[in-house]
Order: sequence, then C-alpha cells, then structure tokens
Amino acid sequence: MPVEQRHNDDSNSDSDNGQAFEVRFSAALHDAGDTFDTDRGALVAAGTVRGRRLRLRRRTTVLGGAAGVALAGVGGALLVPWSGTPSGQPRPPSSVSTTPHPTSSPAARAVTSDEMISTLEKLLPKGKFGKAEGRGVDASEPLVAPYAQVVYDDGRGASAISVSVNRVRPGGYDARQAVRCPDKVFTPYDSCTTSHLPDASVVTVVKGYEYPDRRVDTKLWTANLVTPDGHHVSVSEWNAAAEKDTPVSRDEPPLSAAQLKALAAAQDWRGVVDAIPEDPRQTQEPPMAQEDGKAIRQTLASLVPRGLKVVAHGSDDDSQFTYVVVDDGKGRSLVQINVQPDMSDVAGQLFGAGSETLADGTRVAERKQPGEKGGAGVVMWTVDTLRTDGFRVVVSAFNSGSQQTAATRKVPALTMKQLRAIALSTKWRS
Amino acid sequence: MSQRAGEDYAEFAAARAGHLYRSACLLTAGDTHLAEDLVQEALGRIYVRWSRVSRVGNPAGYAQTVLTRTFLAHRRRFSSRERARDSFPELADTGADHTGADPSLRLTLLDALARLPAKDRAVVVLRYWEDRSVHETADALNMSSAAVRTRCVRALARLRELLGEDLAEYARS
Repeated sequence: MPVEQRHNDDSNSDSDNGQAFEVRFSAALHDAGDTFDTDRGALVAAGTVRGRRLRLRRRTTVLGGAAGVALAGVGGALLVPWSGTPSGQPRPPSSVSTTPHPTSSPAARAVTSDEMISTLEKLLPKGKFGKAEGRGVDASEPLVAPYAQVVYDDGRGASAISVSVNRVRPGGYDARQAVRCPDKVFTPYDSCTTSHLPDASVVTVVKGYEYPDRRVDTKLWTANLVTPDGHHVSVSEWNAAAEKDTPVSRDEPPLSAAQLKALAAAQDWRGVVDAIPEDPRQTQEPPMAQEDGKAIRQTLASLVPRGLKVVAHGSDDDSQFTYVVVDDGKGRSLVQINVQPDMSDVAGQLFGAGSETLADGTRVAERKQPGEKGGAGVVMWTVDTLRTDGFRVVVSAFNSGSQQTAATRKVPALTMKQLRAIALSTKWRS
Repeated sequence: MSQRAGEDYAEFAAARAGHLYRSACLLTAGDTHLAEDLVQEALGRIYVRWSRVSRVGNPAGYAQTVLTRTFLAHRRRFSSRERARDSFPELADTGADHTGADPSLRLTLLDALARLPAKDRAVVVLRYWEDRSVHETADALNMSSAAVRTRCVRALARLRELLGEDLAEYARS
C-alpha cells in the first residue's frame, strides 16, 4: 500500500509531525522485523505436523469450523514452549532449537509406510484395497505421526479408512480430549460411546459427520483409543472413497462400531507407538484452564431464571466466553455469553442508532436477528451492554440447543427482559 | 492431501515461513518462542485448508491473516497468564548487525509494541509492516474500517509518546 494512502486514511492524525512519525515508525518496524530469523525448515516441518494432527483431531473430537476451538484442542497443548517454561519467560539459548531431541528407547525400531498400510489392510475384513497412502515412523521427524489410509471395498461400496497412531501424556490433557465425546452444541453426531478394555485402555466411538453443518451427508465414524501408557490410536472411516469432495458411496461406513473398536485396539498399533521417539513437547502438560473460566459459567448458570433447567454447558477453559443450554420443558435453548474488559474503543460500532444509555452511563443495545451458523429457522436474540469503564457483557439466546441444528421452538426460552437482567447483573463484576 | 497438493503446500510453507516468523515476532513484541508456536499453528491451519487456500488469489495474504487471527485467539485465551517483561534476554544473541538496525532502538521499539493492547498491535503490524490498507486490515481482523482507523490513531499516539525521541532522527540516520 502506498504511503500516501496511509496518510489520507489517517487524516485525523493531527499534523505533518504525525505523518513524519508514521514514516519513521514504519521504517523502524521494517528494520526491526527484518532482524528476526530462525530455522525455517524446522518451523515448516513442525507446522505440517500440527496440520496433520489438527486434521485428525477435527475428524474426531474437536469441533468443526471454530478456529479458537481448534486452538483449544491442538494449540492449547502445543503452545507450551519447548522447555515447558511459560511463554515469554527466557530460556537458555541451548533450548531455542525447534528440532526435538528424540530419546530412543531400546525397543525402538523403524516402521515404514508400507508396513503401516499392510498392517491396516491385514486387520480389515476381506475386500478390495486401493489408493493406499501412509507414513512410517521417521526418527528424523519424530513429531510426524505415522498413519495409513486406504480405500476399502467390501463389495458394497468403496470407503476411505484411516488410522493414525501417536503418543500422548498418560492421563494428560490430550489423553482426556482424545476420548471425550465432542460437544454436541458445536458438532452434531449420532452416537458417542466410551468403553473400557480389560487392559484399562479407554476407547470412544463416535458416529458423526464429515461436515458439522451437514451440507453433504458424508458420515465419519471414528474410534479413539488411549492406553494407560499414553498410546493413542485413532481410526476413521467414511461412507465415501475420500473424506471430502467425493460422493457418498453407501449408506453407512463399512465397519460396525465393534469392528472399529477392535481395529483401534489391535496390538499391532501398540508396537508402532513404541517405535515413535518420545517427544518432549508432547509430554508437557498445557497450562491449566483459567480458573475464572469456571467462574463465568457458574455465574451464568446462577443467573438463569427460575423454571429453566440447565441441561448442558460449555467447558471451563475460556475466561471470556461460555454457554449453557436451558430447557423449560418446551425445547432446548442455547444461551451464550461474552464478558470482555476494555472494549470502550469499539463502542461506536456496537452501540449505534437504537441503543440506549442508562442513568449510570451503561450503554445497552438489543438485537433480534437470524442465527449465523446454518440451523434452519434459528433466531438469535442479543442484549449487548458496555459499562463506562469498557467492561462489556453480551448475552445471546437461541431457539435451538445449538446454532447448527434446526429451531426446536418458536422463540428462545428467555425473554429480552430476562437477557437484559443477566447482562446487567452486578455479579459479573464480583 | 494428494502428493501434488502436499508438494505445493511444502513449497508455499518454505517460501513464507521466514516472513510469517518475522511478522509473528513483531506481533508478540519479540517473544520469539511464542512466535515460533504461532507460525507453526498458522501453518498447521493452512495445511488443513490447503485445497481451498491454494485456490484463492493470494495465499500469502491469507497466511498472514491466519497468523494474525491465531495470535489474537491465543491472546484471548491466555492473556491473564502472560506476564509483563522488562527485558528480552533472548534477543541478545539473535544479532541485529546484518541489517544495520540499531539494537537498542530495536529493543525500545519492541518494548513499545509490547505496551499496546494485542488488537492495536495487530492493526499496527498489518498496516505498517504488511503495508495493508485500512480496508484490508479491517477484513483481516473482522473489524470495521472505522474501528481500524480508531485503533491505528490510538496506537500511533501511544507509540509516539513512547518512541518519539528515539525515532526523531531515524529517517535521517
């Protein structure tokens, strides 16, 4: 962008001096930025690994479409820096490298991509196989999870089946997330069953969909198994020859829930996990969820009017956003809330025509609008409030238990007046 | 991802990683470790969406937008845990010599960036490092153009307050 335009844009920044400062600042910023460099190869490799993990995670436990939530599932664990010190804390130069230092175990052995593929094919019932791809254990890239994917046809339609294995910290955040049922408010699914195996492994089978908004009815069934030692095996199957952009080939994926579970539990995969060098990053615990994440949910639940039962709620890992699902006996209603400090500077955008200002200076805007995420007939009623010190509370209620699913009732279970009372409650400040 | 798409992605990531990392260092005001994490996260997200990303007109710009949003999402989630820093010891050995930039000014500048709210910093980095227009910045941040202008004016005023004297001779040096 030309500098001249920048100056025009900021015509309200007062004077020539201001413009001169902009030019100098921009030059200084470029000089400062250009001094940073790092091992780009390692950065790219680690980014690819995260992408693979993210894709697998999305197929399984994590919700579709929400970037922030993806962070919770994947980045939340990985944002712990290499040495485990909190971000921003200095670390000795020796730990700066992004290249992990594999610690090989005596039992470690190489596993090739062909072995991964042949193991998967061996474990499946009789049928035709095609389009195989995979990745073995690569000691030079211990962050890359081994996987195999094949197109399998039992005679009733081709379908993609994939398996990925990995290590997770036993009992840690990733281990818990892997076997947790998805949050139905964000990810619709038909069933989710968790069971325990005799060796104390936990396995969760989810019968869900490739696209959370069901724009195409590709079914995605997954089994995630985590052993007490932190072996994580994830298998997925679709009722199409590829996960996306391929027509549905059959009503349901080929393996039953029991077969899927057995595939995940096969001992062969445990041996592959043993071959993966331990990665210090994966065995770090992520920071604990903020305590006030729980506080905001409890406050919201405490402000729900009498006669409404809280039937579901969000997790405690975000201090500024949560939700509850309430039911008055006439259908579910999602109520979500954001509590944000220091929002004065956007007052102009949020509180335009039609907003009001209360005696204490608090600004209030009320909106009734269609839902934003595809559920048929969903309406969103919102009360947005901003205290004079920039403290914003915005609460929205929907006439459905989720924004993605069709309306379950004509209007939300709370009136605008009740939403207003929640948003303006003094409890948010305590 | 097909092999071809995988290669395309790898080529793109290799070409852009350095720039994304530098942007992330500015967004994080010199926290190089967090910057690496953010770039990895952004590259991961791009990897997942590569079939779509590769079809858009400007994947590099898209990558920058993903990085900025990743940074803001991180800040939203972790802000209360971040601690104020009064020094950047890890910068000492990254060497500022090859560009001729004044190391002390660089630290002063990063320190000033650190004092801006995260969104203001994102606006400043997009506008003055990425050279994006107000409109493009607004799109990247899901904000209105008016909000971008407001934040920009506010951030520049603050930066001028913090850096005015240090930068006074900069353009001429």
